[in-house]
Amino acid sequence: MSGFRLPRPTLAIPAIGWLLIFFVAPVLMVLWFSFGYKPGIFASHANDKLSFDRYAEALNPTFFTTFWNTLWVGLAGTILCLLIAFPVAYWMSVKVPVRFRGLLLALVMVPYWTNFLVRTIGWQIILAPHGWLATALSSVGIIHGPLDILYTRSAVLLGVVYNYLPLMILPLFVAFDRVSNEMREASKDLGAGRIATLFRVTIPLAMPGIIVGTILVYIPLMGDYITAKVLGGAKGNMAGVLVASQFQTAQNWALGSAMAVLLIVVILLSAALAGLIIWLAILPFSRSRKLVIGMAK
Amino acid sequence: MTSTNSKPRRQFKLTEASLGVWSVIVFIFLFAPIIVIFVYSFNSGRLLAAWDGFGFDGYQAMLEKTAVTSSVWVSLRAGVFSALLATLLGTLAGVAMARRPGKWVAWFSVLLLFVAITPEIVDAVSLLPWVVFLGQDLGLGIFNDGIVRLVVGQSLFSTAVVTYIVRSRLVGLNENLEEASADLYAPPARTFWKITLPLAMPAVLAGGLLSFTLGLDNTIVASFVQVSGTTPWPVYVLSSVRTGLRPDIASMSVVMLVLTLGALALVAVVLKKSGDSASQIARTMAG
Repeated sequence: MSGFRLPRPTLAIPAIGWLLIFFVAPVLMVLWFSFGYKPGIFASHANDKLSFDRYAEALNPTFFTTFWNTLWVGLAGTILCLLIAFPVAYWMSVKVPVRFRGLLLALVMVPYWTNFLVRTIGWQIILAPHGWLATALSSVGIIHGPLDILYTRSAVLLGVVYNYLPLMILPLFVAFDRVSNEMREASKDLGAGRIATLFRVTIPLAMPGIIVGTILVYIPLMGDYITAKVLGGAKGNMAGVLVASQFQTAQNWALGSAMAVLLIVVILLSAALAGLIIWLAILPFSRSRKLVIGMAK
Repeated sequence: MTSTNSKPRRQFKLTEASLGVWSVIVFIFLFAPIIVIFVYSFNSGRLLAAWDGFGFDGYQAMLEKTAVTSSVWVSLRAGVFSALLATLLGTLAGVAMARRPGKWVAWFSVLLLFVAITPEIVDAVSLLPWVVFLGQDLGLGIFNDGIVRLVVGQSLFSTAVVTYIVRSRLVGLNENLEEASADLYAPPARTFWKITLPLAMPAVLAGGLLSFTLGLDNTIVASFVQVSGTTPWPVYVLSSVRTGLRPDIASMSVVMLVLTLGALALVAVVLKKSGDSASQIARTMAG
């Protein structure tokens, strides 16, 4: 084609500019604040002396406990989501007749698109000391007296597993859907049992979807604010609530900024570390599998 | 496996049945709090969590309380404007990524990735001082406007979502038509309007509607950047968690859920008409 052509990213420039002004610049500003300090009761931040002191302050024992708590809820919640979603996604994509799959997907979508806060309030009602669950459990004789799970770490764990479960089911469904029945039948015809087919054909082929689901759940879960705020109380605090309270109630923007930066760093580092561990754990298996294929040839 | 024929088959049925039972339990789990909210929206009592009796008092109260109706109106306006903005920015960026690839795409993808993975609470705490800085220190009065602040806050993630959806649709279609149009001496702008945009249209509409529902749901960023007087619906609910939830919150939530599901059903229809399979639709809608 001849004639004048605009430079390549031209059409993307408005979006790039918008994100630079309203995403990159504000985040850099928070990074800058995190090296400052709170000068007095009435001022929120000052930057005339720069130091790493706010980071040290953000890691003192009280706050550190909350970060540790967040990491615990993040890991336990992601693993629970994976364990709960796996059989459901497998069932939906393999066992259910094709014409019902769309309907079931839509049903998974409904809670996901219900307002996050509203579904969490639903759990607050269910978990209330004298609520539905308490009545049901005490009528079967599992508990005696009021249910005291609300405003604890367990309630937060239940809440985050609930809130992020659809984000695990959907990519797993897509992944299993891609592993065709022919693949599984071929594996069976070659003499593999059902367990061997699951672990040596289905799961390896679905691995990209499993990884996507884990990331989709883990990252927003670590930064969760609403679940911990509504179900957590003092015992189930998470880092997101801590950051917010520095900006809203304590009015210490420098410390809040340091915490926000730490939160992002913890999320990225832990995700990278988990990826590395999983990669190292899978490495020997992938070699042996290749060897088997080579021998089969 | 054993040599007898019946044993594996029975085992087969057992795993199949337990998978089904587990899935049904999970679906009940997924719907439990929504059913609770639906049931309690008919609570005629004064407090949401204390069941008093069946009645439509909540639905009546939600229409009478100006705090409720005006917050919903704020949410709808902010949702529409942020969806329009995100659709405009995201469509152009998605087209550029798919049709004018180069080294810049890698950099832009990293930027979009950061927008997507940054926790909303971090967006919120960084956007608040920033709009205060723009509005008060730089004297750009427009950033003191409540709706403008909400639209800015909601547009970031939505722009990334629209870009991704539009890009993945166009990458899946080859450039034959656009090349033919250029060969027939159509100027680039006309090719864009007459060929590229219609090709991308299902993705543009789906992205726009998704942005709208994302905007309606935006709670965290909105609760930080909001200006009193233009409180959006989710922020009103969040403040009620502290001061005391009443049944009309549940009633309005039911209405908003119906509205959101209507918009999403429309997305599914649009995508289906353009030939996506169930699993492609799921991928698009999960963002």
